[in-house]
Amino acid sequence: MNTNYANKNRLKDLTFWQKIYVPEIIKGLSVTMKNMFKPNFTLQYPEEKFIQPDSYRGRPVLVQEENNIERCVACGLCARVCPALAIEVQANETESEKERYPEKFEINMLRCIFCGFCEEVCPEEAIIMSKDYELVFRVREDAIYSKDKLLVPVKDLQDRINYLREFKG
Amino acid sequence: MNDFVFYTVVTLIKLVAFVSVIFLSVAYLVYFERKIAAWAQNRVGPNRVGPLGLLQPFADVLKLTLKEDIVPDAANKTMHTLAPMISIFVAFSTYAVIPVGPDITVFGRTISLSLAPGINIGVLYVLALTSIGVYAITFAGWSSGSKYSLLGGIRSSAQMISYEISMGFSIAGVIMLASSLQMDEIVKSQHGWMWNAIVQPIGFITFVVSSFAETNRLPFDLPEAEPELVGGYHTEYSSMKFAAFFLAEYANMLIASAMIVTLYLGGWQFPYAETFNISPMLLVGLQIGAFVLKMVAVLFFFIWVRWSLPRFRYDQLMDIGWKVMFPLSLINLLWVAIVTMFMK
Amino acid sequence: MPKITIDNKEIDFTQGQTIIQAAEAASIDIPHFCWHSALSVSGNCRVCLVEVEKMPKLVIACSTLATDGMVVSSQSEKTLSARSAVMEFILINHPLDCPICDEAGDCKLQNYTYKHSNGESRFIESKNSKDKRVALGPNVMFDGERCISCSRCIRFCDEIVGEKQLTFVKRGDRVTISTFPGKELDNDYSMNVIDICPVGALTSRDFRFTSRVWEMSSTKSICSGCSKGCNIDVWVRNNQILRLTPRQNDAVNNFWMCDEGRLNTFKHINADTRINGPQVRRDGALSKVTWDEAFSAAASELKAFSKDEIGFVGSPQATNEDNFLFSKFVKSNFGIKNLTFFKHIIPGTADSLLQKEDKSPNSFGAELAGIKPSKDGYDFASLLSAINSHKIKALYILEDSNILEIPEIESYLSKLDLLIVHSVNSSVLTQRANIVFPAASYAEKNGTWINCDGIIQRIRPAVTTQEIDRSLDGFSMSRLDKFGTEYDRWNQTAKVDARPSWKILCGLMTVFGQKQKFSIVEEVFSEMSNTIPSLNGIDYSSIGDLGIKVSLKSPIPATIEGKH
Ligand code: SF4
Ligand code: SF4
Ligand code: SF4
Ligand code: SF4
Repeated sequence: MNTNYANKNRLKDLTFWQKIYVPEIIKGLSVTMKNMFKPNFTLQYPEEKFIQPDSYRGRPVLVQEENNIERCVACGLCARVCPALAIEVQANETESEKERYPEKFEINMLRCIFCGFCEEVCPEEAIIMSKDYELVFRVREDAIYSKDKLLVPVKDLQDRINYLREFKG
Repeated sequence: MNDFVFYTVVTLIKLVAFVSVIFLSVAYLVYFERKIAAWAQNRVGPNRVGPLGLLQPFADVLKLTLKEDIVPDAANKTMHTLAPMISIFVAFSTYAVIPVGPDITVFGRTISLSLAPGINIGVLYVLALTSIGVYAITFAGWSSGSKYSLLGGIRSSAQMISYEISMGFSIAGVIMLASSLQMDEIVKSQHGWMWNAIVQPIGFITFVVSSFAETNRLPFDLPEAEPELVGGYHTEYSSMKFAAFFLAEYANMLIASAMIVTLYLGGWQFPYAETFNISPMLLVGLQIGAFVLKMVAVLFFFIWVRWSLPRFRYDQLMDIGWKVMFPLSLINLLWVAIVTMFMK
Repeated sequence: MPKITIDNKEIDFTQGQTIIQAAEAASIDIPHFCWHSALSVSGNCRVCLVEVEKMPKLVIACSTLATDGMVVSSQSEKTLSARSAVMEFILINHPLDCPICDEAGDCKLQNYTYKHSNGESRFIESKNSKDKRVALGPNVMFDGERCISCSRCIRFCDEIVGEKQLTFVKRGDRVTISTFPGKELDNDYSMNVIDICPVGALTSRDFRFTSRVWEMSSTKSICSGCSKGCNIDVWVRNNQILRLTPRQNDAVNNFWMCDEGRLNTFKHINADTRINGPQVRRDGALSKVTWDEAFSAAASELKAFSKDEIGFVGSPQATNEDNFLFSKFVKSNFGIKNLTFFKHIIPGTADSLLQKEDKSPNSFGAELAGIKPSKDGYDFASLLSAINSHKIKALYILEDSNILEIPEIESYLSKLDLLIVHSVNSSVLTQRANIVFPAASYAEKNGTWINCDGIIQRIRPAVTTQEIDRSLDGFSMSRLDKFGTEYDRWNQTAKVDARPSWKILCGLMTVFGQKQKFSIVEEVFSEMSNTIPSLNGIDYSSIGDLGIKVSLKSPIPATIEGKH
C-alpha cells in the first residue's frame, strides 16, 4: 500500500479513470450501499450493557475487607499522584494494628479522569478501578464520593485484583 | 354549480393537500436522511421517540419551536427576518407547476393533478423561482453580521449562479425535444421508454449534478461547510427561523427530485400503462404511484450520495461548474439538435 | 590553610575538622544518619564510609579527622558498593511502614534508599518485631521497629538539653530506645528529637497522622512564644496551621525550639474564637459593623475625651511596623504622654538553652518603634493605678493578649468608660471593649520583630484572611494551592475578616484627617528605617531569612546566650 499521500494526491499521479471521477463515485456509492446491509454495531445502551474486560477502568473504589474495614491506610499517595487533584484523604489514628486509617476519603468524580494512577501507586492494593461507569449526579456536591459510596467488598473486585496481580507484577 | 366555484373549491383542496403532503414528506425526509446515514454507518439511527423513532421529526419541530429566537446585535433585523421567509416561500411556491399525475375527470369536469395547471411557461417559472432562492441565502449571510454567515452566503450565490447556467442549458435540451415549456407537455413527450434520461444521458447527468449544487447538498454543500464555516449562512439563526431554512432545504430537495422525475424520468408516466387495459381510476392510481416511486428513488439517491462522497474544494467546485458541466450541457444541446433533426 | 581534596575538589579546612565537616562546609553531601553537626560524633551508622587514598580500608567520614593533602572519594566504586551494602544492612529489619509512617516524604532513610541502595533485599527471613506505638513522653511517640539505632535522640537529650532521659536497652538486633523505668521523655525540648530522628521512629503525638508533608506549604517565620524569636517553619494545609517546626539559624536557635513554642503558639489562629469583622458596642452588646463604621465610631468616641484621659497601650506582640504607626498615630493626635506597653515577664522561666523570661516576641521592637511614655506620662504600672483612680477614662490597646495575665485585670477594665482593642481572638478584653478591631495574627501578615539579642527578623503570612490572596500576595504554596480552584473544597475554608494593625491604624488615621500613603507594609518599614537611627539602611531584603543584628541604643539587658 502506498502511504505516501503527499505524492498520491497530485492530480498528475491520478489515472485517467480516476480523473474522470465517475467510476470513483460509483465505487464510493457501492461501499456505502454494501454497508447498509451489514449488521449494526450499536448497543442499545440502557437495555443492553457492554461487558467490560478486566482491563477496563471504571470509577475508582476502595477495597473493603471481609471485616468491613477499608484496606486503605490513608498514606495519601493516591491523592499525591492524582493528576486531577480528585482525591482528598484525611488520616487519623486507629486502635487496630494498621495504626492509620482514612477518617475521610473523598473522590471528586467531576475531577477524576479515570487514569488509574491512584490504583497503580497504592502500596496496599486498596484503591481499585472498578467496572462501574454509570455516574450521574444533579448537584456538584453529589459528585464528591465519600467512603460510604467508595467502599466495595473485596469479593466484588476479585477480577480486577487478579488482573493487576498478573500484569502489574 | 358554476365552473368558477367548482375550480376554486378544487384548487383549495389541492392546495391543502399539497402543503400538508410537502410538510409531512419534508419531516420524514429528515427522518430518512438520518436513518439512511445510520444504515450506511452500521448504526441504528433515531429509534427512541415513538415506534422505530417515527415521532422523531415531531419532537425535533417541538424542540425548535421552544428554542429562544436569537438575533445577533450586529444583524440587520429586517433582512435577518426576511431571509428565512423568502427561502420558505420560494421553496413552496415552486410546487405549483409540478404535475403528479394525468388529468382526471370528476363530475364531468377535467381536473389537472397539479396546483396551477396549464401554465405554459412552467419550466421557466421553476427556474425563476429557484433563482430567487439565492437571494434568501445571500440576505441571510449578509444580514447576520457574522463572517461565517457572510462567507457562506457569498459562496452560495456564486455556486448557484454558476450551476444555474448548465442547468438552464440542460433544460433547454428537454424543451427542444418536447417543443413546449409546459410541464404536462414535457411529461407527455416522454411516452413509453422515451425518457429524456435515456434520450439525452449527458443532459441528465449535468442536470442532476446541477440540482445537487442548487440544493446545496453534499458534495456541493460549501455554503454551510461545518468544518470551515460553522453553519454557513444560517450560523446566526435559531428557533423557527432556523427551522424555516431547514425546511426549505429539504423542500428544495423534494422539488429538485420532482424536477428530475418530471423532466428526465417520464414524470408520472408508467411505461405503456395505457395498453394494460385497466380501469381509468386504477390507471391514474398507478401513474401517481409511479410518480411517487420515482421521487422516492431519486430522494434516496440524494441521501445516499450525501453519505458517500466527500465535499469538493471551492476551486474544484467552480472548475466543475464552468469547465465541465457547462461544456457538457452545450454538447448535450448539440446532440438533442441532431436527434430532433433526424426524428422530425 | 590546610587543604583536602574531596571528589576531585580541593577545599580549605580548619585543623580539627572531620572529613564530613570539611565536606559540608564545601557543600559536598556525604550521606549520614547518626552524625549531626550539633551533636557529638557517634559513628555507628556506617553510611558515611568514604575511600581515602593510601588508607587500606574505607573510613567513616564523620570521625576521621581531615589532614592536609588527604584525597577523599565519596563516589568511587568501592565507596558506592559499601554504601549500598550498609543500606541493605540497615533495611534488613526496617519495616515496610512508609505508607503509614509520618516521616514518609521527609525521611532520610527513604531518600537514601532511593539514592544509594539498589532496591533489592537478599534477606528472606522474617523481620524483627519490636514495640510499636510506645508513648515515650507526653509529646513523643516511639516506634521500635523503625528505629535504626543512630542514637541521635539520646545524644540530644544528653548533650543539648542536659537531661539524660533516653538510652539504648538490650543488645544486638534487639536493641531499642527506652526511658528509665517510671520516667518519661518530658524535658522542655523533647520534641526536637522528632526532627532529628532520621527515620519515622519518633513522631509527634500532636501532629501524628494529621497530614502528609507534601500536602502542606511551609512558610519561614518566627516563633511568637518568647523574646528569643526562634526561627520556625509554619506548615499550612487548607488555610490551617497544622504544625510548627524549627528552622536552622545558628545566631538564634541553632536547630531547636522548645515544646511550649511548638505546641502552644499557633492553635489560637485556627480557633473558633477568632474575631471576624470589626465590632462596636451598641445598646450594651457588641455588634458587627463595617470597617468604615468602626473607624468613625472609634474617632468620635476618642474625641470625646481629653488627651490626658486616654491611655495608649502598644504591644510587644505586634510587629515593629504596627507599633511604629501606633506611636505615630498617638503622637500626632494625642501627644505621647500616656503611651506605653506591658512587658510580660514570668520570672524563673528562662533556661540556658532558648527559653526566655520575657514572653513577648517583640519587646525591644515596641520600644524602638516609639512605644514609651513622655517624662510626665504614665508607664504601665502607673497607668493601671491611674485607671483605678479614674484619671484615665479611656484605653486603646493594640493587639496584646498577655495583658490578660495581669491579676484582676477585669476590675481595671470595668472602671473604664471607653475601651478600644485590636485583637486576634475574643477574650475578657474584647468582651469589655466598646470597639473591637479584628487584628491579623502573626501568621497572617508581613512584618518584623526584634528578639532579645537585638536581631531583627521577619515574619511572613502563611494563612490568608479575607483581604489577602495566597497566590497574589506571594505566599508559599502547596500543590493543592497551586493547582486547585476557588471552587475546590480545600479552598472553601472560611477566611477571617481581619487586617494587620498597621492597616487598621492607616484607616483610623484617615478618619482623623491624616491620610497615610502606605499600601504595603514594606513602605511602613522604610519610613521607620529612615526615622529610627538604629534601623538605618536596613530593608526587608537585607533582613532576609535569618535576620540581622540591630545596634540598639539602649543597653540590651543581660541575656543568656543560647548554645550554638
Ligand atoms: S494510596 Fe492506597 S493506601 Fe494510600 S491513601 Fe490511597 S488508597 Fe489509601
Ligand atoms: S483515576 Fe486518576 S484521576 Fe481518578 S482518582 Fe485515580 S488518580 Fe485521580
Ligand atoms: S522511617 Fe522512613 S523508611 Fe522507615 S517507614 Fe518511615 S518513611 Fe519509610
Ligand atoms: S529513635 Fe530515631 S533518633 Fe533515636 S536512635 Fe532511633 S533512629 Fe535514631
